[in-house]
Amino acid sequence: MKEDRVILLVEDNPDDEALTLRAFNKHNITNHVVVARDGEQALDYLFGNGAWAGRDPTERPAVVLLDLRLPKVDGLEVLRRLRSDDRTKVTPVVVLTSSKEESDLTQCYALHVNSYIRKPVDFSQFAEAARQLGLYWLVLNEPPPQR
Amino acid sequence: MRTREDPASRPAPERRRDDALTLEETQRAVLNILEDFGAEKARLEDTQRAVLNILDDFGTEKTHLEGTQRAVLNILEDFGTEGARLEETQRAVLNILEDLSVEKSKVEDASLLLKGEIAERRKAAAQLEAANKELEAFSYSVSHDLRAPLRAIDGFSLALLEDYTGQLDAQGQDFLHRVRAGAQKMGQLIDDMLQLSRLTRGEMHIAPVNLSALALEIIEDLRRSDPTRRVEFLCAEGLDARGDERLLRAALSNLLNNAWKFTGKQLDARIEFDATATEDGPVFVVRDNGAGFDMAYAHKLFGAFQRLHRAEEFPGTGIGLAIVHRIIRRHGGNVWAEGAVGKGAAFYFTLSPSATTREETS
Repeated sequence: MKEDRVILLVEDNPDDEALTLRAFNKHNITNHVVVARDGEQALDYLFGNGAWAGRDPTERPAVVLLDLRLPKVDGLEVLRRLRSDDRTKVTPVVVLTSSKEESDLTQCYALHVNSYIRKPVDFSQFAEAARQLGLYWLVLNEPPPQR
Repeated sequence: MRTREDPASRPAPERRRDDALTLEETQRAVLNILEDFGAEKARLEDTQRAVLNILDDFGTEKTHLEGTQRAVLNILEDFGTEGARLEETQRAVLNILEDLSVEKSKVEDASLLLKGEIAERRKAAAQLEAANKELEAFSYSVSHDLRAPLRAIDGFSLALLEDYTGQLDAQGQDFLHRVRAGAQKMGQLIDDMLQLSRLTRGEMHIAPVNLSALALEIIEDLRRSDPTRRVEFLCAEGLDARGDERLLRAALSNLLNNAWKFTGKQLDARIEFDATATEDGPVFVVRDNGAGFDMAYAHKLFGAFQRLHRAEEFPGTGIGLAIVHRIIRRHGGNVWAEGAVGKGAAFYFTLSPSATTREETS
């Protein structure tokens, strides 16, 4: 049932959000995409708080597409919290960011990120990256089993 | 008065016997006396000789004494000279002590100055460190925040092109293509600027570097990126240098990439990497037989964003050579170029033989 797999897109930039969703649609990635616009919303979704109160944290998204620079709580902190909780720590996370800073790369991999993708400026490259991501993590990859 | 017995009054033979005895006795006595006299004479001569010897010795002793007197006088004289020399030495030592105390206070002053300078340097280094951190934070901002709007410009232009083809005539589509190209170019410029700024900071780790091996790797990568191109690469063996490997790789990469790019229109493209030994150290050269450039503009080559070719002839942002220049200067070396339009180009560079981590301001 690949269609019920959820993608959590954590992205504060509305343009990037629109372009990513457009790319998914163009390539028939019609999975349910949940968008969190800052780190706090992302954590609320993952742990069933705030606007998502009552959601079961063990129902993990198939993949989290995580931007690093986010308001309120930044991407690294989201990653850290996600990896430190037994209910969520196996969730596949793909960091999708403009940053090429080595320190970001190092810290993300130290927190066991599954993949680190640098957002291309060229939109068609970006769309291609979104397509490949979607295909890989939602179709090819086997997500960790739900408990 | 008693009359002496007159010998004449004695009977005659008695007298004759007494007279004979007295003569013998007298002879004997005289002989004895003469003997004694001889002995005494000898003794006297001995004594005389002894006295003469004594007088002799005395003379010698006197001479000795005179000699000794002279020696003593000499010693007293030398002593006087020594005394004078000693006084001089004393004066000299006193002068030296005086000079020494002057020098000591000079050294103290200099040391104070030095301490002050060191404190200044430390402060400057701390300020530099702070400025570098600020610059890093700024670069991080730049890389993230500037690129996002570019992506929107590019992405939504493409969305327009894709979804509204019907409503856009050729010109409209052309406009949108230019918008996209502009956004992509700007993205490239941002990347190049960030790289250039990253090269100014950061510590250099100096070690022996095999430039020949680096060049071969870079050419291999270029061949892989475009397998259809036939390019002859002549690389001298054993070109070694001391420097930061990461930075030298970036510099060589820029030079070789340029050579690769500008020989793109040659059928018999040839690139060389070689070095000539000079008394100041090796002069490395990257040579190509490509499009070349007009020497009249050679002075603009290494400026940032300076280009001597139009974008449609050869792509590029004009920052590659600025990067090379920055790296070579940081290694204490020089870089310059020679070329002619249509006849290829040669880029020469040197590296300081004792490259240190001292930053070069260029």
